[in-house]
Amino acid sequence: MPHYGIAIDTTKCIGCHACRVACQNQNGLAYDQEFNRIVERERGRYPSFAKEFIPLQCNHCENAPCQRVCPTGATYTTKEGVVLVNPKTCVGCKYCVEACPYKMRMIDHHKGIVVKCVMCIDLVRQGGIPACVSTCPTQVRIFGDLDDPNSEISRFVATHRAQPLRADLDTRPRIFYKRS
Amino acid sequence: MPTISRRKFLAASAVGTAALAVGPYVSFDAWAKAQNESQETKVTPTLCGACDNWCAINVHTKGDRVWKAEGIPGAGKNLGGVCAKGHGFLHELYNPDRIRGPLKRVGPDKFEAISWEQAFKEIGEKTLAIKEKHGPQSIFWLTHPQANHSLNGRFLHALGSSNMFSHGSTCFMPRNVGWWLTVGGKPEMDLEHSRMIVLLGRNPAGGLNLGSLREISRARSNGARMVVVDPRFNESASLADRWLRIRPGTDLALVLALSHVIIEEGRWQKEFVEKYTEGFAEFAAEVKKYTPAWAQEKTGISAAEIVQLARELAGYAPRVCVHRGYHGAMGTQYKNSLQLVRAVGCLSGLLGNFNQPGGLYFPPKPKLGKLDPKDYPKPPEVPDHMSDGSGDPDRYPLVPAGNGIAHAIPELALKGELKAGFVYHSNPIRTNPNPARVIAGYKKLELLVSFDYVLSETATIAHYILPEAFYLESDDVVYTSHSVRSAQVSIRQPVVKPLYDTKPLFEILKGMAGNLGIGEYFKFTLEEYNRASLAPLHVTLERLKKEGVIDTGSRWEPGPPKLKTPSGKLEMVSSILKDYGLPAIPTWEEPLVMPDPKDPHSFRLIHGKQAHHTHARTGNQPYLTEITTLNDWARVWIHPDRAKLLGLRDGDCMSITSTVGKGRARCRITEGIHPDCIFLPSGYGMFSRHFKFGKKHGQGGYGFGISYNDFLPTYFDPVLGHTMGNEIIVRVEKSTTRGA
Amino acid sequence: MPENAWGWLIVTYLFLAGAGSGAFLSAVACDLLAPDWSKALARAGSLAAGPLITIGTSCLVFDLEAGLWEPWRQAYLVFNPTSMITWGVIILSGFIPVAFLYGLALNGITVIGKYFAKYVRTLEIVGSVFAVATAGYTGVLIAVVNGVPFWNTPLMPVLFLASAMSTGLAVAMIGAALIDVSTIKTLSNFALGHVIFLAVEAGVLMLLIFMSLTRSVEAATSAQMLISGALSPYFWGLVVVIGVAVPLVLSVVEYYEYGEMPKLLVVGADVCVLIGGMSLRALIIYSGTPPLIV
Repeated sequence: MPHYGIAIDTTKCIGCHACRVACQNQNGLAYDQEFNRIVERERGRYPSFAKEFIPLQCNHCENAPCQRVCPTGATYTTKEGVVLVNPKTCVGCKYCVEACPYKMRMIDHHKGIVVKCVMCIDLVRQGGIPACVSTCPTQVRIFGDLDDPNSEISRFVATHRAQPLRADLDTRPRIFYKRS
Repeated sequence: MPTISRRKFLAASAVGTAALAVGPYVSFDAWAKAQNESQETKVTPTLCGACDNWCAINVHTKGDRVWKAEGIPGAGKNLGGVCAKGHGFLHELYNPDRIRGPLKRVGPDKFEAISWEQAFKEIGEKTLAIKEKHGPQSIFWLTHPQANHSLNGRFLHALGSSNMFSHGSTCFMPRNVGWWLTVGGKPEMDLEHSRMIVLLGRNPAGGLNLGSLREISRARSNGARMVVVDPRFNESASLADRWLRIRPGTDLALVLALSHVIIEEGRWQKEFVEKYTEGFAEFAAEVKKYTPAWAQEKTGISAAEIVQLARELAGYAPRVCVHRGYHGAMGTQYKNSLQLVRAVGCLSGLLGNFNQPGGLYFPPKPKLGKLDPKDYPKPPEVPDHMSDGSGDPDRYPLVPAGNGIAHAIPELALKGELKAGFVYHSNPIRTNPNPARVIAGYKKLELLVSFDYVLSETATIAHYILPEAFYLESDDVVYTSHSVRSAQVSIRQPVVKPLYDTKPLFEILKGMAGNLGIGEYFKFTLEEYNRASLAPLHVTLERLKKEGVIDTGSRWEPGPPKLKTPSGKLEMVSSILKDYGLPAIPTWEEPLVMPDPKDPHSFRLIHGKQAHHTHARTGNQPYLTEITTLNDWARVWIHPDRAKLLGLRDGDCMSITSTVGKGRARCRITEGIHPDCIFLPSGYGMFSRHFKFGKKHGQGGYGFGISYNDFLPTYFDPVLGHTMGNEIIVRVEKSTTRGA
Repeated sequence: MPENAWGWLIVTYLFLAGAGSGAFLSAVACDLLAPDWSKALARAGSLAAGPLITIGTSCLVFDLEAGLWEPWRQAYLVFNPTSMITWGVIILSGFIPVAFLYGLALNGITVIGKYFAKYVRTLEIVGSVFAVATAGYTGVLIAVVNGVPFWNTPLMPVLFLASAMSTGLAVAMIGAALIDVSTIKTLSNFALGHVIFLAVEAGVLMLLIFMSLTRSVEAATSAQMLISGALSPYFWGLVVVIGVAVPLVLSVVEYYEYGEMPKLLVVGADVCVLIGGMSLRALIIYSGTPPLIV
């Protein structure tokens, strides 16, 4: 069984937000709901001024704090390593929202449950790739099987020594970043 | 695991904890499946209409509702990508601000719903009366140049007028004319195979070009160098190795100095220059005076940087690409923009990259067929020049008739030369300089017909609004602009049935034509027209509609360049310019205006696009305005040193005043901008009160933000008549009142 | 202030669950150790515990969304043994009936109360275990959240426990004064309890702030928000001055001036403790800052 992950090359991100809206459409979100977002960071003074756009989304942690604190077990990890919320058993206690160090869980006040990036698992299971990956004009994201050492993502992570965000939190994310 | 209905489960839980044994009984998959099963999903290939790139997309529908879009991988322009606008504008279909059917204006900002028949009849009568009284040249059509340009042209020419305007004078005119003068046409770029890419006042990551971005991304993965030259750290600079912060309006000086270094150091591509260029000696003599030290004074980029850039370019030549430009420095922004395009053309000549891998080339175009003139008569010939002087050897000989100088329409209307106008896919009142003047001019027209789908600024003052069906609801003509590396045809087709009483453009033209006595030129269906277009390509309309985009076979191949100039060579000395007595060799020309270096309040106002907004259409769509809201991106950029002198802190409100307008905006203090200028992102400042939806949901819609056009005086560049959109000097002060 | 998923309902829940547990423990302590000092205090504490915890728990339930609209979903709340809410639900479902029974039994109310009167000791022992668990659990609930570094410290349950004790005692003392105003004089004996719990609370709070300042950037951000940032007026005013300093001084005076202090000041000190306890929880929740992830 593959274990999916996404590698993100921030050196290629232009902050166009195509991923955000692609994701909103794929998952039927309202305009103000988001499963991914982009933060912009500036540093230095000209001529060494630089800017980085950092796309953020659920990290699908192997050691997921959200899953640990979920009282109903609504948050679970699929066999492919995708962290999901069962909309039928979530009570909307929001404990997971507080527990997520990356703050990538949202409350859907219409459904009364917590929602989040699903790594477009239904697309993936039909042989596709997540919407944020396919739409990106600069191909910032690489999706694939982290268990397969020959997959594009595994080679990318190895070549560029891509790191998860805040590895020190010991959440073991499945989203890897190449930052420079 | 079996699913249990809610009612059953409730009963079960009432029994007691035994029910808990059932556990979390429905998995995500079952839920997702149930979500999708409830409605039938369908995929329709079509062309996006969020901006005017018309990217090829597969639109998915659930039941009768549009769901999502995916890019069609092979399409030349977008290479499978879709941008935020492309996704977000799907929701525009359901925007409550849309017009429900034809409208007639019965008072200031007062409209009455009328039938299509009545609209066609009244427009026919009025147009004919105007034609009778003032002649056919008093009628104009303003369009956004698209595939259906040919249909609009047919309509206008049938009426006997040559006054077909595009938005070129506010966008790309110098770029198109400059390249036409130098190499005979507008080239494409093989960015993917470039070893070094230089973006000179062009920002494909903001003024989006998805195909270019994919190519740049691949080139960068393959180790290509990339330098962005821009007064601000634009979005493309995030992709680059280096950002050269150039003083706005001085790109020409940089290119001349680069040429100087390459020639002085003998690094030009000698064989290419010898074989395929004309006028090298004159050009070399001219650039002798443009030393790096001289350019440093002008541009603010150090002489050492200039020399290094020149050497790098020459070192990677011919596999280098200086971007051929768009609306930026090489578009309608500065008085010297045309010279800049010419200079970049000459520099490309020195680098020998024309029709070389990683360089510039002419894309192959499919040759579309035409309706048989025996059965379908062609409209009569019309004058070869326009009322604004385009195509007229004594006035604007270099401005192609059919493009014209769109922002001269108000002047011509005020002078009484234009009386009736049809505005298609354009909103000049918001997108042309100095709105007060544009409004006064357009209000002077005896008949103004708009085809807008919302009551935009221009539609609000039109006499009739004939709402075109939304792009997701309508058919269109065969489109060839996806031909980048290979000749491709593509087509737009309805994804859903029209929600309201709207019609595709062709039906509107046909309806109007019937009431104008020119019905004989529209005695065909759109299907017949499209079949005739496709006939020579051996592609059936059915197949095209099924696949969306079809490659017709011919691909661009590198090799000896075939240039379409009078000499057949890359003309460093332009024979055409020479004939008109204009500077034939690229030569330094000062920008029209410069901020006062002694006045801390004096700035140049520059503008540019953000990736999630375009022109004046997207600012009313909450899925897009939300991006502005989240990032606080409507702020105006200012350099920290200058901000300090004005007592501004990040987020403070500034008042901005030019000779023609004033406005307020909050500031974004950033090192990413040249201290001489402030940067105002475009796409804001919509002022039609009918843009309510975006206003209701975040930073958009009516009354939000400001537009550079509010500050831009009405200029007509002496050679091309364009707007010179960045030649704005503004006075900036700290403001105590709030702004966007 | 960082955007927070949890708001006033959770703050109230944390406060009431703490105060209820504290009231229960005060009643037990009074009944076991000093039954002759003030019967009223034990009665008040035992009567208050059940309703307070129930109201608190309702706040938790009202904060739910789907779980509120479709109450059967609450059945799932006990499914994950690694979640503190699961443990909380188990503890509360045990504690609430015991607390009510104790209230009825100690006061001999209704047939049930009279029947259980003989099991008062058992109820006190079982209930005290639940009470300590509840008070501590409210702290552990947020202490295990590594999504908010400021909360993520073992000091949190200690602080919550101390605060639960002092607020609980305050509830019991106010209740006692309401039941029998003459008992106020004897209440001075319990002022020692306030002194001890408030001193512990002050000490732990100080430790929390100091340690947070150096523990991590995010915890420091939260701590700074409290001591010098946007929330500092509330922190210094409502928690430090009104919640700790004033009642501490008053309680010391009360203890030494045995019975001589004006009644209003005695009750006033208790009200201050309650305001401080509620504010403390609110400020801890609202100052929670997520880790800097980029």
